[in-house]
Amino acid sequence: MNRRKFIKKASLLTAGTLAAPYILPSGRLFAATGSRKVNHVIFVLFAGGIRNQESVKKQYLANQGLPTEGNVMPNILSGAEPGANLVYQPWNPVLSNPLQKSATLFPEMRYKQGPTGHYNGHTVAMTGNYTETGLNLNIKPEYPTVFEYYRKHSDPARSALNAWWMSEGLGPYPSLNYSRHPDYGSLYGANYMRPATTIGNLGQEYLSTAKDYQPDDVSRINMLRNFLDSNFANQSGPVSGIANNDEDRERIRSFVKGLLSGSNPIEWPTPTGSAQGLTGDLINIGAAWKVMEEFQPELMVINTFNLDVCHSNFSQYINFLHRADHGVGWLWNKIQGPEGAALGLKDDTVMILMPEHGRNLDPNNVSDNNGLSAYDHTSDANSRQIFSLIAGPPSVIRQNEVIGAGSVPVGESIDIIPTIAELLGFRDQIPSGMLPGRVLHEAMV
Amino acid sequence: MNMQVSKYFFFLLPIVLLFATSCKKTIIEETVYDEVIYQLDTLPVYSSNLEKDREKSDIQFISILYADLFGKAIAGNITGELSELKLSFGDKVTLNQMIVSAFINDPDIKIPDNQQMRDDPEKFVTDIYRKFYLRNPTAYEKYYLVKLINEDPELTVEHFYTAFALSNEYSFY
Repeated sequence: MNRRKFIKKASLLTAGTLAAPYILPSGRLFAATGSRKVNHVIFVLFAGGIRNQESVKKQYLANQGLPTEGNVMPNILSGAEPGANLVYQPWNPVLSNPLQKSATLFPEMRYKQGPTGHYNGHTVAMTGNYTETGLNLNIKPEYPTVFEYYRKHSDPARSALNAWWMSEGLGPYPSLNYSRHPDYGSLYGANYMRPATTIGNLGQEYLSTAKDYQPDDVSRINMLRNFLDSNFANQSGPVSGIANNDEDRERIRSFVKGLLSGSNPIEWPTPTGSAQGLTGDLINIGAAWKVMEEFQPELMVINTFNLDVCHSNFSQYINFLHRADHGVGWLWNKIQGPEGAALGLKDDTVMILMPEHGRNLDPNNVSDNNGLSAYDHTSDANSRQIFSLIAGPPSVIRQNEVIGAGSVPVGESIDIIPTIAELLGFRDQIPSGMLPGRVLHEAMV
Repeated sequence: MNMQVSKYFFFLLPIVLLFATSCKKTIIEETVYDEVIYQLDTLPVYSSNLEKDREKSDIQFISILYADLFGKAIAGNITGELSELKLSFGDKVTLNQMIVSAFINDPDIKIPDNQQMRDDPEKFVTDIYRKFYLRNPTAYEKYYLVKLINEDPELTVEHFYTAFALSNEYSFY
């Protein structure tokens, strides 16, 4: 063997020896960083319990003994709005073409297992696993949330600034930013905010007088705190809550202060941009855009919740459905407009919509002022019927497609998390057996 | 021995108070326990921070923080509102930081001034450990912090109070 051959073989052997410990279970040398299809995914949990009858089936009042049908979600779905018997105040659509034109619609998906409760529905949608667990205010989900999969399995690792959970409604919902799974947890969780509280009246009352410390002050406080923490030999784990590093925490604090003081004003997703007609859902969507504007997160989950009024007031349910549709259209318009383009979001964002569950086929005994019957959700077959719409750039998402029908349902609520994982390129890194759902490849180019 | 007495006192006092006020069924034992303890001033309860292994609930944290900074029990409606506020934000440290700095900005706050700290740094360090941690500082903790005070003229009482309120140990009992 001559000297040149010896050096070549020795180099290959050395390279192989160095690389071997880094070969992943999937057989790849490194995590698949180049396989993501987009860099941003927004999952809008169109929650509060929406029946397919009033959404994708566009039946409006047809189930109330009135002949009027029509589409009350003109920003999201194609189809003409009701022309008579209006029980809601129509707002002009934000989008010139409904989102459906830029999307694949799964009009007949199923929420197959477990009770059709709001918290269960949220948990299933955000963990990709069915659960029988009822409402428990003190317990985090058993299975990892989409945020934890994303943060743990993306390469390079992403900070919590890239993952946000924005909810309308408190109760158990704040707990969905990370799970109690031993291999995941707060270390991989998402930042969480309920804007109507944090930047609403309570935030104004208790946080608006918070001092703006100078960098020297922050540095001294952090130095002291680090010393104190280093002397606390606590054995029971870290303090609850998501952990941002000092730099990110300061950015978040400054951001919230700006929202509270009005120096970073929020534009509301209403026809006039003012607070007129504002709902909790729209507050949440407006604040979600501010978060996107500030941090450009790669993964965000937003929910609506006001639609739950359908237990007692069908007319208001229709009204809130129409306004939530307006909010979604407004958000998509921001993402795809000049502001989104300047932030790098335009044509690099996929938005996924899905209700957490539906509502019963038969009404309850409550009627509203218009004499319209209300609906509960008690796990009948109708309350398991949901839809999903996946919108995104034509190079990634099949445009104006409809997959499935009533007789041939396609997709389940547990399929959204694998689909997000596929879009953001970390699907292969998730250990097998963790996610029973499948990727909705039918929506992808 | 004194520590044992303190601990018995600590646990028996709420029971005594419960009997003394037994006609008021709305009193929640745990709330009474917190308020009573933090109205008693500067009695070390813990001999070491190793004894702290349970995280305070949001309500406990807020009640105790308020009592430590304002020297009086917090009103029930403020506790409820601040608990809701804490629930609304995922990064508890960031939110605590904003609540603490808003409290410290309040003219009713009762904290020593910087001159008092600099006149007797050892007493300041001992007092702040007792107030926030319900224990005495270790020799090392006292040495280190007194040295910091003496060497950094820009260090303020506000820095200390904020850091203690945001520290991990303060979140546990």
